[in-house]
Amino acid sequence: MPIWKNPEFVRHFRAELRTTRALTVAAVVVVIAILIWLGCWGSRASEMALVHRQSVHFRAERLAEMDRETPFVVWFGFYRILMYAQLGILTFWSLFSCAQSISGERERKTWDFQRSTRLSAGELLAGKLFGEPLLAYFIVLCCLPITLLAGLMARVSLENFAEAYLLIISGAVFLGIAGLWLSNLFEARSRGVGLIGTFGLYILCALMVLTRDSNFSGAAALSPLAGFIPLFNNDIVFGLPTIFGHPVPWVEVSLLLYLTLGAWLVLTLLQTLTKDYDQMRPLSRWQAVGCAAFLNFIIYALYIPHFPLVSWDSFVQFMVTVNGAILFVMGLAMLKSSERLRVWSRTRGSTRWPMFAEDGPQWPWLALSAAVGYGLLVLGLFAWKEDLGFDAEALRVGSIEFLVVLVFIIRDITFIQWSRLTRMRAPVVKGVLFLGLYYLGAIVLATVVTVYSAVRGQGVFALLTPAGAFQTLPFNYHSPELYLGIGIQAATAMLFEMAILARLRHPVGELAQHSLAG
Amino acid sequence: MAPVIELTNLRKEFDDLIAVENLTLTISSGEIYGLIGPNGAGKTTTIRMMCGLLDPTQGSVRVAGIDVLGEPEEARKYIGYLSDFFSVYDDLKVWEYLDYFAHAYKMPESEIPARVDEVIAQAGLEVKRDGMIRGLSRGMKQRLGIARAMIHRPKVLVLDEPASGLDPKARIELRNLLRSARDEGATILISSHILTELEGLCTSIGVMEKGRMVRSGRLEEVMSAVTPMRTVRLQWLGEAQAQIQGLLEQLPGAAELKLSEGAGEFFFSGSDDELSQALANLINGGVRIVSFHEVKQTVEEMYMKVSSHEVM
Repeated sequence: MPIWKNPEFVRHFRAELRTTRALTVAAVVVVIAILIWLGCWGSRASEMALVHRQSVHFRAERLAEMDRETPFVVWFGFYRILMYAQLGILTFWSLFSCAQSISGERERKTWDFQRSTRLSAGELLAGKLFGEPLLAYFIVLCCLPITLLAGLMARVSLENFAEAYLLIISGAVFLGIAGLWLSNLFEARSRGVGLIGTFGLYILCALMVLTRDSNFSGAAALSPLAGFIPLFNNDIVFGLPTIFGHPVPWVEVSLLLYLTLGAWLVLTLLQTLTKDYDQMRPLSRWQAVGCAAFLNFIIYALYIPHFPLVSWDSFVQFMVTVNGAILFVMGLAMLKSSERLRVWSRTRGSTRWPMFAEDGPQWPWLALSAAVGYGLLVLGLFAWKEDLGFDAEALRVGSIEFLVVLVFIIRDITFIQWSRLTRMRAPVVKGVLFLGLYYLGAIVLATVVTVYSAVRGQGVFALLTPAGAFQTLPFNYHSPELYLGIGIQAATAMLFEMAILARLRHPVGELAQHSLAG
Repeated sequence: MAPVIELTNLRKEFDDLIAVENLTLTISSGEIYGLIGPNGAGKTTTIRMMCGLLDPTQGSVRVAGIDVLGEPEEARKYIGYLSDFFSVYDDLKVWEYLDYFAHAYKMPESEIPARVDEVIAQAGLEVKRDGMIRGLSRGMKQRLGIARAMIHRPKVLVLDEPASGLDPKARIELRNLLRSARDEGATILISSHILTELEGLCTSIGVMEKGRMVRSGRLEEVMSAVTPMRTVRLQWLGEAQAQIQGLLEQLPGAAELKLSEGAGEFFFSGSDDELSQALANLINGGVRIVSFHEVKQTVEEMYMKVSSHEVM
C-alpha cells in the first residue's frame, strides 16, 4: 500500500493539512524565510560597512573581492540557516509527535478501534511515522524550493544539497521510529515519564556528535549534526569515522546506523504494535540474543584503537561494561507477564527443554547472550592484537569479568521479573528504582567502610556490586571477595527464581474483579 | 441457524485473578445476544478476546468460522466493535471519520462513498455529514461510533455498553440503529448492565458472573427456566372474590392465589389453552372481568433471580 493511500496517513493529512491551515503555514514559511534573508543581508551589509570604514587596513583588491563575494556569502548564510532550521524542526517534531502517538491513542481510547481494523502493524506504523509529523514535513516541503534557490545562488553543489536533505529525512524517520517505540512502551498513565524520556533521547542524540573524537567516532553519526556540520562549516575540521578501520563518509555511517538500529526498533514495533499492553513481547528469546550480538558487532565495527582504549585491559573492561548494559536491556525486553509464566509453569512438565522455552526464565538466554558477547570480544582482541597488545591473560580476565557482570544482571532481571508477579503498580519501573536504591546503598556502605579500611571497602564493593570485576592489573584471581560476591549474587538470583516458581505454583486466586474486566 | 460466534473453553487470567473461566458459548446468525452481568463479571474481557484485542490464556474464538487467534486480520473483516468508553477523532469531519475506517477495513474503493452515505443516513447524521466531529452531541457521537462499527458490513457487531451515559431519546435512536443493523443481516452481541435497554431488543441472553456464564440461551427459554410459573393478574367488578377463589382453586396448575377487593394475581403453570379456558369459566360463572393478563417478567427481574442465586 503506497503511503499516500495509507488510511492512517490520510487521516493525519485530512486533520492537519486543511486548505486554510496549509496556506497559512506556507505563507508563514515564506515570511520567515524573507525575514531570515533580510537578517543575513543586513548582517553582511553591516560587516561590509565596517570593512569599508576601516578600508585603510585592506588592500583595494581584497575589498573589491569581498564586495564581489557579498551576494554568495548572504545566500550561503541564508541557505545554511534554512537547512539547520529544517533539520531542527523536522527531527524534533518527528520525535515528539511520534512519541505521543500511541500513548495518546491509548489515552483517548481510540487505539482499540485502530487495532480492531484490518490494518496490519506495518501499515499502522508507516501511517503514524509519516502522518504524525506531517505538518513538519509540509514545512520542509515549503522550504525546499526556497532552499534550492538559496543553494543555487550560493553556488552550492547539488551533492551538498542532496546530502543535507538525506540527513534531515533519514534522521527524522529514525527519530520518529524511536519516538513510536517509546510511545508504545509507555502506558497512557506513564505518558509524562515517556515525554521526559523523549527529551532525554533528543538531547542524547544531539550530543552524540561530541563522541566524534572518541574511540567510537562513528557513533557520532547517530546525530545528524555529525554529517551536517562538515557540509556547512568548512572551518570546523571533522575527521572521517571508520568502519573496521576503513574511513567512510559521515552521511554513509549515519544512514548505516539509522538503517540497522531502526530495523531492530521496527522489528519490536511490528511484534508489539497490535498487541494489548500487558501482552507485549518486544523480542523473542533468539531475537534478543541476535540483538545483543548485533550491538556488539556495531561497536567493534566503529572502534578505532587509540587513547584511552589503547590496551587490552581497558578495552576488555569497556566491552564488559557495555555488554552489562546490553544484557540488562535485553533482560528487560524478555520479561514475561504472570499469565505467560503461569502457562509455562503448567505446561513445562510436558515441554522439551522447558528452561529454554519462549515463556520460561530469562537467565539461560542472558547466559547465551553473554557467551556470544564474550566470543565476539575474543574475536575483537585477535583482530586488534597489534594495537591492543594481545595477551592470553586478556581471555581469562575477560571471562571472569563477563561472569561477574552476568551474575549481577541475572540477579537484577530475576528480581524485576519477581516484581512483575507482585501486585505493584508499574512493577518494572519500581523494580528498576529499587535496584537503583540498592546500588546507591551499596556504594554508600562501601564508601563508609573505605574510610576505615581501603581494602575492606574494596571488599564490600566486590561483594555487593560488579565493581570487583574491574580491578586494575595485575588481576587478583584469588580475591575471596570476588568469588564470595559471585556466590552470594548467584544464590540471591536462585532465591528470586524459587520465589517466582513458588508464586506460580500458588493456585490462581479466588475469582475476583479485575480492573480490566467488564 | 449456523453459529457465527463460537467461544470454546475460553479462559483469561490477569496476574492472580481469573477474569473469564471456561466460557463456552455459541451464537447463531441473525441473533441479538445480550450479555449481562455486574461490573467485573468478565463481559468486557470476553468481548475483547472475541474481537482479537486480547489473547486468551486458553481456549479458542471463532467468528464466522475463522479462528480469531490464528487469522486475526481475516477475522476482523467480519467483526465490528464498539468499546464501552471511547472517543472519536474530533479533528475530522463525520464523513472523513467513516471513510477512514472504511479504508482501514480494506473495503473495495468503489463501494466506500456510497456505503459512507448509507451508514450516515442509518445513523441519522445526514445534516452533520460535512460537520466537524467536535460539534456533535454525546448521543450523536455514540451513533457515529456504531456507524463506524457497521461501516464494513460486519457479520458480527460487538457492542460493549453502548447506551451508557445516553439520555432516553438517544437510547431510543440507538435501538433503532441496532435494529437496522440487524435488518442488514448482522448478528449483534451487546453487553450491558442497564437491563431495560435490552428489553424487547435481544433474542438471546447470557448472564455472566465472576467470569462464568451462569445462564445462556433464547430469551424466552432463559425466562421460563428461571421462572417456570407464569404470573396472571386479573381485575373484576362487584363482590366476586369468593367465587373467583373457588373457580381458580379448581384450575389445574394454578397456585399462590392472592386476591383482594376487585383485583388479584396467581401463578399458573399450564398451557395457553388452559389459561383461556380458565378465563372462559370465570366469565361463564358470571364474574365481570375487567382485565385478565399475564404479567411478563422483565429481564431485570430474571437477572436479579439468577444473580441472587435463587435459580441456578
